[in-house]
Amino acid sequence: MIKVANLYKNFGKLEVLKNISAEIHKGDIVAIIGPSGSGKSTFLRCLNRLEEPTAGHIYVKGADLMAPGTDINKIREKVGMVFQHFNLFPHKTVLENLTLSPMKLKGYSQVDANKKAMALLDKVGLREKADAYPNQLSGGQKQRIAIARALAMEPEVMLFDEPTSALDPEMIKEVLDVMRGLAKEGMTMLIVTHEMGFARSVANRLFFMDRGDILEDTTPAELFDNPKHERTKEFLEKVLNK
Amino acid sequence: MKYLASIINYIFELQIRFVEYLGLLKDIFLGGNRYMYIINGLAFSIGTTLLAGLIGVILGIFIALMELSHFYPLKNKKGWEKFNPISSLAFAYVDLIRGTPAVVQLMILANLIFVGALRDTPILVIAGLSFGINSGAYVAEIIRAGIEGLDKGQMEAARALGMPYGVAMKEIIIPQAVKKILPALVSEFITLLKETSIVGFIGGVDLLRSANIITSQTYRGVEPLLAVGLIYLILTAVFTKFMRGIEKGLKVSD
Repeated sequence: MIKVANLYKNFGKLEVLKNISAEIHKGDIVAIIGPSGSGKSTFLRCLNRLEEPTAGHIYVKGADLMAPGTDINKIREKVGMVFQHFNLFPHKTVLENLTLSPMKLKGYSQVDANKKAMALLDKVGLREKADAYPNQLSGGQKQRIAIARALAMEPEVMLFDEPTSALDPEMIKEVLDVMRGLAKEGMTMLIVTHEMGFARSVANRLFFMDRGDILEDTTPAELFDNPKHERTKEFLEKVLNK
Repeated sequence: MKYLASIINYIFELQIRFVEYLGLLKDIFLGGNRYMYIINGLAFSIGTTLLAGLIGVILGIFIALMELSHFYPLKNKKGWEKFNPISSLAFAYVDLIRGTPAVVQLMILANLIFVGALRDTPILVIAGLSFGINSGAYVAEIIRAGIEGLDKGQMEAARALGMPYGVAMKEIIIPQAVKKILPALVSEFITLLKETSIVGFIGGVDLLRSANIITSQTYRGVEPLLAVGLIYLILTAVFTKFMRGIEKGLKVSD
């Protein structure tokens, strides 16, 4: 599904990603954990080229993201993204947030787009909010809408960039439940997260990143119970309060 | 009793003075159809402002888009990666226009550029062009600030959904920016209206100049000035009220 080969990313003199290679298969649910500043978000944002990689190659379904002839917009349609701060469009209603791109980019009619959007709102449990504006929603509701908006483009991969980090604790579960549902349906997902319990129970692979490198790429059980790297151990001790 | 009589006397006198003064006002503005100077001046001021406003907004949009452009022709050359000739040009324009007085720009345009074959260009056109060029710089900065002030996540979310830059601008960025920009744009337009009063420097007969003409004919300095001041105030008040109504309409989603 996604193949990353020798990816580098520098911000000026700062090397954020150093020679990262990885392969994500269809149906994989990859949780990416690691200390802040380790390059997790940057790595995720390179996968749809919101960040321009400095060197290396990224292939999404065989298409080279870095090749000059590649239409990045077509690839982004297949790669949904959910942000920490939701980034809903505040001047549009919830329904319009969901229907805008399918109509503009995929040629959906208003009727078809609405039907699809309502089905997605059902899925995230917010059908009654269709005509609300984003600022009338709680954080958890906003994030569920943001997930529905990404799904409206019928992506084959979903990228989650710390989807619960900006939420009040009591709203985290409703968002994680929606993500859990997606995982059950077989969606390919990459999730940058600090929710260790969620990572452990939902992901089938875990990346531990530190200082711009993927130090461990293994199963959650293996990583939590039997971490290989000293730095992984240190990190887990800190976050799990062991 | 004595007091009351003198108070009544005083009021009576005031009344006479007032009627006298009304006669004087009538003579100042209606005698010799002098009010026509004011009406013509008003038409000139409004015409210049509209023309300048139109040029200013169109120019401002172009300059703002130039400032915001991502055009790096030398990005492979060391030391020149960040060189963007289009935005550099736009910023130079803004610096030049904002750094010199409008009256200097107006006089340069009228006395150094619109000469020779262009000598017969109507003053309204010269003034509209000059104020438009001037206003364009300020409008550009207003638009740029409005767009840059938006949350970066908005553009990212739009692009991540697969929208090309143009679609994202049109559907997501510009509708939000317009709302933020509008109050500042209204201020700019009001400034523009008042600023056209320097057009007398190149011989244009606007509102202010019409007051001067009436003064020179009637030897009354205060009343004509107060009259045009009041007209400026009414114009801006009506315009402000109108634009506040529009702003309110745009605020539905906030």
